[in-house]
Amino acid sequence: MSDITVDVAVIGAGPAGIAAGVGAKEAGADRVAIFERDWDLGGILQQCIHPGFGLHVFGEELTGPEYIHRWIDRAREAGVEFWTNSMVFHMEDDGSFWIMNPSLGIKKVTPKSVVLAMGCRERPLGALGIPGTRPAGIYTAGTAQRLVNMEGYMPGNKVVILGSGDVGLIMARRMIWEGAQVLGVYEIMPWPGGLRRNIAQCLDDYGIPFHLEETVIEIHGKDRLEGVTVAKVDKDRNPVVGTEHFIACDTLLLAVGLIPENELSRMAGVEINPITQGPFVNELLQTSKPNIFAAGNVVIVYDLVDWVSKEAERAGRNAALYAIGQLKQVARQIRIVGGKNVRLYSPQFLSGQSDATIYMRVTQPIEKRCKAIVEPGLYERQLRYARPGEMNEAHVKLEDLKALGDIEEIVVDIREA
Amino acid sequence: MSTRYYDVIVIGGGIVGSTIARELSRYDVRVAVLDKASELPSGASRANSGMVHAGYDDKPGTMKAYFCPKGNAIYRSLYEELDFTLNKVGSYVCAFAEEEIAHLNLLLDQGRKNGVPSVEIISGDELRSREPNASKEIIAALWAPTGCIINNFEAVLAFMDNAQQNGVELFLETEVLDVLLSQGEKQVVGVNTNKGMFLAPIVINAAGVHSDRIARMVGDESFVIHPRRGDYFITDKYVGNLVKSFFFACPSEAGKGITVASTADHNLLMGPTSIFQVDRDKTATTAEGLKQVIEGARRLIPPIPVNMAITTFAGLRADPDTGDFVIGILKKPHGFVNVAGIKSPGFTSAPAIAQHIVERIKDELKDLVEFKPNRKFVPERKHIPRFAYLTMEERSALAEKDPRYAQIVCRCESVTEGQVVEAIRRGARTVAAVKIWTRAGAGRCQGGFCGPRVMEILARELNIPMEEVTRHGGHSRMLVGKTKEYWFRGSDHE
Repeated sequence: MSDITVDVAVIGAGPAGIAAGVGAKEAGADRVAIFERDWDLGGILQQCIHPGFGLHVFGEELTGPEYIHRWIDRAREAGVEFWTNSMVFHMEDDGSFWIMNPSLGIKKVTPKSVVLAMGCRERPLGALGIPGTRPAGIYTAGTAQRLVNMEGYMPGNKVVILGSGDVGLIMARRMIWEGAQVLGVYEIMPWPGGLRRNIAQCLDDYGIPFHLEETVIEIHGKDRLEGVTVAKVDKDRNPVVGTEHFIACDTLLLAVGLIPENELSRMAGVEINPITQGPFVNELLQTSKPNIFAAGNVVIVYDLVDWVSKEAERAGRNAALYAIGQLKQVARQIRIVGGKNVRLYSPQFLSGQSDATIYMRVTQPIEKRCKAIVEPGLYERQLRYARPGEMNEAHVKLEDLKALGDIEEIVVDIREA
Repeated sequence: MSTRYYDVIVIGGGIVGSTIARELSRYDVRVAVLDKASELPSGASRANSGMVHAGYDDKPGTMKAYFCPKGNAIYRSLYEELDFTLNKVGSYVCAFAEEEIAHLNLLLDQGRKNGVPSVEIISGDELRSREPNASKEIIAALWAPTGCIINNFEAVLAFMDNAQQNGVELFLETEVLDVLLSQGEKQVVGVNTNKGMFLAPIVINAAGVHSDRIARMVGDESFVIHPRRGDYFITDKYVGNLVKSFFFACPSEAGKGITVASTADHNLLMGPTSIFQVDRDKTATTAEGLKQVIEGARRLIPPIPVNMAITTFAGLRADPDTGDFVIGILKKPHGFVNVAGIKSPGFTSAPAIAQHIVERIKDELKDLVEFKPNRKFVPERKHIPRFAYLTMEERSALAEKDPRYAQIVCRCESVTEGQVVEAIRRGARTVAAVKIWTRAGAGRCQGGFCGPRVMEILARELNIPMEEVTRHGGHSRMLVGKTKEYWFRGSDHE
């Protein structure tokens, strides 16, 4: 159980972790190591074989594996160490942690700084409290995607999809390509959970019915799924009596939300924002623990991987600066407050040491001209629309912030123009 | 199909069947346990509150009142020897109004008469000083320190595992179709099943919610089982520490009401409802039932959040129309034994009932089978190592011995490949069985990550194609085929 000592340790080798590793090396950290529980690098992008990645980072449209391999190559060239099959299973409050690896056994890792990049997981059926039986044939969309794209197995033939998160939309099309029937996508909210482009390219192009304000209210079947009952919902999301109908199917895929995976963060005593379910961070992507940074879907669930990579690269850079003693610690930070229509945003604090990009999602869609703002008077940008499934950004210049003097909080919001 | 010969057949491998099997394994007799499910426990022993009741709930003089405190004592003395998880957390029955205090007094009196140690009534303030999240509306509570929380999966597996080590044979997916009688129907000779005939002069009916049907097969119509469903919620471990002990409201006609407890693995458990239904196999939850659970739980512990549920389930209690356990050796046919209607506090009472009934069988049915001591009987067994609960040194030692114990399969519950492989070696054949044995898939992502890995390990260890892996046996296959098959085969699939 001997120690491994590194400058910057990154937990997770998905898009966030690999970009963080690159950033840390760029900023001058000596020994940068990424610890990954899977036997291969790339995280969820390994199974995202569809195109749509990299438009912002590389200026071209790549598949998930293509996109992540560009980053893996960059990281290798930069001299980042990769530790696969190395599950971090316990973290101490000083940021040191324990890994296990089938060929090395259990080892303790002592880093100068850490980047948390564990990503997120899918909300399971049980969290929804849908009544009925518990047969085989119910999968989260991501699990089904792994089975189909990586293992080469079909989870079912007649598919209903509950929720309209992006992975669910992508899987609707994927199942059609594999010869399955996709009977419909049911979304309890009045608007889609995923990107508009996915609604168009994955549902509309294949004639898959998309039902808003309609949901699964009961599950049937003892051994294998035999069907679901769906119903329309009222504005309080309660089923409307008389609208129930039975749909025979053998598979239910769930795309009902992603939850940042912060078990290790909690073990380390990092403060978690109950709204995003990710760590509170400042514009440096530094958590409540000065030596622990976080980036990507572990902080807030992004819509595009490009943003994840950019943010994580920054987190890695700052973690390196911390490790080599070049990051100043500030006593008091400026709080970022969400406006009326913005609950999910990151970061939540500004340390006042660099320009900041604030990512945010609207709570209610605005289907007309609107504006993203940071008050008082720090930022304003016109938008053609704002939708909960898509992230918006705002930028705050350090000089503008300094000009405001001794303020305690700023407000981000998206409002009608 | 083959015919097999035994001395005793036990129908049902729930807590009743498994505790009886272990008692029988103390003797040099051939025992077969038959269960129609694909994994143990199924039925009521699988889906319940995991409570080892103290024993104050039942009227002195009933069988329930007699067996419950004894069963409680057996669990508390056996859990280390048989290596199942039991937490000595105690339990509270809460009174919200003056008239309910009278009820607490009744329970206190019953508890003392039933021989339950150290029961007492405490004030609402005293309760809240121990359990700060308890409702401010609670004015008094009955405290029973001997109430325990148990991992009911592990307990059933432990008794059966130990019984098997001592020579008992377990047959899963084996459904009793008929009980066979001698000419003149005076004597039991065995059972007929979907897997062939099992012949034995003694047949013990421990078939839970189906036990009245088994009894009908020998002409015993003395009791009827009414399945009574209970719906439950399990939450994320983050809120498992909202309570330390078991919480009950004052009981009603229907049962002990909605309880709140921290499970053996530190999730929060809420439930059950108590709803009669006709179907004996359908364990579907209902919207109404789940709503009742949340409301009942929050009445006791108001800060319970709604968004922390990770799963819901329902169980069926075997509620007999006699109002008490149905335990007895029939005069006709000779050799038939009922241990039926073991409704709450049935799980608690089971090991005491098992000792009692095996003593009686040994005495009253000695003309049928000779019960010589099993000289090779080993009373203890070990569960599969619980990686999540080991110290760093223990983990390291395990991983060094077998690298599969350094390969995490289930991230949420820290279950290693070594544990999954060992579960399969001990008889797990389904995804559900692996979960019951190891907790792989029982955590907050509910098998999202480990599901495909568990399927792969099952296929590899059992040497079957992935497509034949089932969730819980029967037709519950997880996959329908390989990708691209459709395009080669054409559109002939359903």
